[in-house]
Amino acid sequence: MIEENWGLLGHDWAVNMLRRHIQEDAVRHAYLFTGPPGVGRRSLALRFAQALNCPQPPAPGEACRACRTCTQIEAMQYPDLSILQAEHEGGTLKVEQIRAIQHGLSLKPYQGRYRVAIFLRFQEANPNAANALLKTLEEAPAHVVLVVMADNPDQLLPTIVSRCEGLRLRSLPVERVQTFIQSRGTDPDSARLLAHLSGGRPGYALRLKDDPHGLELRTRWLDELHGILSSNRIRRFAYAEKLTRDKEETRQVLELWGSYWRDVMLFSSGSSIDLTNIDRMQEIESLGKMIDLSRARRLVMDIENGIDRLDKNVNARLLLEVLLLDWPFVGSERK
Amino acid sequence: MTQALYRKWRPQKWDEVAGQDHVTKTLRNAVAGGRIGHAYLFSGPRGTGKTSVARLLAKAANCLHETPAERPCNQCQYCLAVNKGSFLDLIEIDAASNNGVDDVRDLRDKINFSPNQGKYKIYIIDEVHMLSTQAFNALLKTLEEPPPHAIFILATTEINKIPATVLSRCQRHEFKRASVEAITLQLKEIANSEKIPADDEALTLIARQATGSFRDAISLLDQMASTGEKITLKNIHEILGTAASQNVLELVDSIQKSQPAEGLDHLHEALDAGTDSRVLARQIVEYLRALLLIKLGNPDQANLPRETLKQAAKHAGAFSARHILHMIREFNAAATDLRGGWQPALSLELALAGVMELPEEKQPVVLLQTSSTRATTRPTSQATTMPTSQTETMPTSQATNTPTSQATNPPTSQATNTPTSQAQDSPKPVHPPKEKPTLTAPKETDSDFTRLAKEWKKIKLAVKIVNRPLEAALNSCRPKELKNGILTLGCDNEFAMNLASKNDNVEVVTKAILDTLDMDLQIKCVISNARQDTPADIKQDGMVAEALKVGGKITDIQD
Repeated sequence: MIEENWGLLGHDWAVNMLRRHIQEDAVRHAYLFTGPPGVGRRSLALRFAQALNCPQPPAPGEACRACRTCTQIEAMQYPDLSILQAEHEGGTLKVEQIRAIQHGLSLKPYQGRYRVAIFLRFQEANPNAANALLKTLEEAPAHVVLVVMADNPDQLLPTIVSRCEGLRLRSLPVERVQTFIQSRGTDPDSARLLAHLSGGRPGYALRLKDDPHGLELRTRWLDELHGILSSNRIRRFAYAEKLTRDKEETRQVLELWGSYWRDVMLFSSGSSIDLTNIDRMQEIESLGKMIDLSRARRLVMDIENGIDRLDKNVNARLLLEVLLLDWPFVGSERK
Repeated sequence: MTQALYRKWRPQKWDEVAGQDHVTKTLRNAVAGGRIGHAYLFSGPRGTGKTSVARLLAKAANCLHETPAERPCNQCQYCLAVNKGSFLDLIEIDAASNNGVDDVRDLRDKINFSPNQGKYKIYIIDEVHMLSTQAFNALLKTLEEPPPHAIFILATTEINKIPATVLSRCQRHEFKRASVEAITLQLKEIANSEKIPADDEALTLIARQATGSFRDAISLLDQMASTGEKITLKNIHEILGTAASQNVLELVDSIQKSQPAEGLDHLHEALDAGTDSRVLARQIVEYLRALLLIKLGNPDQANLPRETLKQAAKHAGAFSARHILHMIREFNAAATDLRGGWQPALSLELALAGVMELPEEKQPVVLLQTSSTRATTRPTSQATTMPTSQTETMPTSQATNTPTSQATNPPTSQATNTPTSQAQDSPKPVHPPKEKPTLTAPKETDSDFTRLAKEWKKIKLAVKIVNRPLEAALNSCRPKELKNGILTLGCDNEFAMNLASKNDNVEVVTKAILDTLDMDLQIKCVISNARQDTPADIKQDGMVAEALKVGGKITDIQD
């Protein structure tokens, strides 16, 4: 089943649509793939590039995924494939990079039928860069296919969005990710946890699977969360000081805590929706019984706003102190 | 690669331009009368036909057809050349990439050469808002007095970025967003001639998605057609992530029942079925907006299908206007939340949890009350007087009603009273006054004063019947303070104060307050200065007051 689907998990409709475009020789010059990170946007784009350029496709609109071209594309080392992104996640894509690629795109393909340019995380492009791409996006040379990616279309200029054919990739059902991870040789329990943590994003789950350190950190941070709940103000302040020494870490912790409190919120609402941190069910249940919905909501909101403010460069320590002060006290308060 | 449908279906005749009759009519008449101007500026949202109309006008200006009214004919060699894009005297400039002053200088150098083929040389400057300031200024002289053979057509989506000096030199035409009906009609025609099988409802949905832009609608149709299947609602939902509104109805149902668990389940049902979280949020807001419209007595604007309308009316009855407003605010925040986020549903979940509790805001209630009292004061002012105590008892009963039901039928409530007969009597309460408030121990609260301040207009009206000049004087007075049964009036000037503090006049005002608000008060007038109010306990004609009048400040008071 996965094999018939360009070797991808899920997104069947998107694959079918792209395949038909190739078969009917109606390939658009610009596509926009949107969806949460780790859902499979880049994989889809790479498979699309393979299907476009594979010299001996087994069927029209398919790729053999074995020939030199296909392996090169898979490794992102194909001469007619350009991949453009900001220097690091959270960075900025600059106009010079766009100009450089525009020159390359105006040349004929070196080996394959199409030159394919993939723009990763295009929401990170600064306005000048985005504007510089407009003309190319509208009237790309005949042998060029552009694939722009973003978390969601609202992050891009409307003029960019309206020039592309949009494909919105969605998170998959958690069960599907679970079976997928399990088929990669993980035991059912951890596969289930990984699938839930990923929220239905196979790429993210795979990344987590190969990152035991990340999982350890997660356990530690969640343990610390519980430590905070049962400690007094002085300890909370001390913790805030310790944590905020590293801003990137603060952000990650806040995101994790956000997902945890969301679980508490969902539980206290009484809903049956799949929770994220299923290995912590007991704690979540006891917290969810203690806190009512509106309190839980406020806690999630505070963390969300906190992350937002952290990006706007507020004093992280102050932020965390205020945040932790609002958290409930659980258990016996030790002086 | 095939040509995109929206390029293939660019209008080639005036009649094919949809939804912009106000523009095409003017331009057609100008062509027919041979009065084509030398500079036009087309503005409007994307995909409304600016570039298309610009090309049409260019074609019409050079068309060789004998009767001007028939131009463009699409048959003469020039028309065909324009359609093919090979007409030499039509120069289309993309101002987004040629935005420097040198590009404009280049244009200025070449514009003086007479046209190669046709009668006019036509410059279409698209996306003109991207020109730099210098470029705009360099263009000004040419734009004002171009050579007789030149016509400028500027097109932009952002009219606010165009300098006023350019605006005033052009004939301005504003393109409107196309209505859903107009777009649907156009889509139907295209689908028919391109032999694209499509459901009518599906086309309406596409039109709705396009938010008034023809290009968006046609590219969406193009995209749907490229799947090769019949275009149905289901297909579109799959690709666009627009859920059936059933989920929205159920969601609002569970909000009404205050069942967050059920609401969250509905939310996730919709998301699991493939709805985009932001799209879902927008749909919820749209539905809530419809509820608000129904609540405000305008169900026609709500634009809901008939089967939904019934349910919506039920919902509208179940919520207070304030609650609906609160819900709209919450979900709108979710719809505009731009963070990509690790969990796309989170902002919706937060919004849902948020609408389960109605915040303890006093503000909206007061707002409602004032709007309802305003509704009743309107008839009062028309009839000069109305039984005043009635208005006093009304607000409480009105607050529970919708304000609009009142606003829509003030004439009837007014008709029951006979204004003329009452105008002669001094205003008399219809309901017997409860009891005269005790003079000895007046207990004022803040609310007494706010009530007074609110009803001040009415009091003035009551005064007006008895003593017109006094009312005029009161116009420059306002209640300042209510303390120990003494109302302090702050007057803007000495004249007003003197008039208002005359013994007879004070009596009149006291009586008016008594009749209107059932409060027996003594009245004291002071001058209140714009810069610094003279405190009531300072002698009004003393040194301190005088100093305050010329701008002094009280910093410290010592006994």
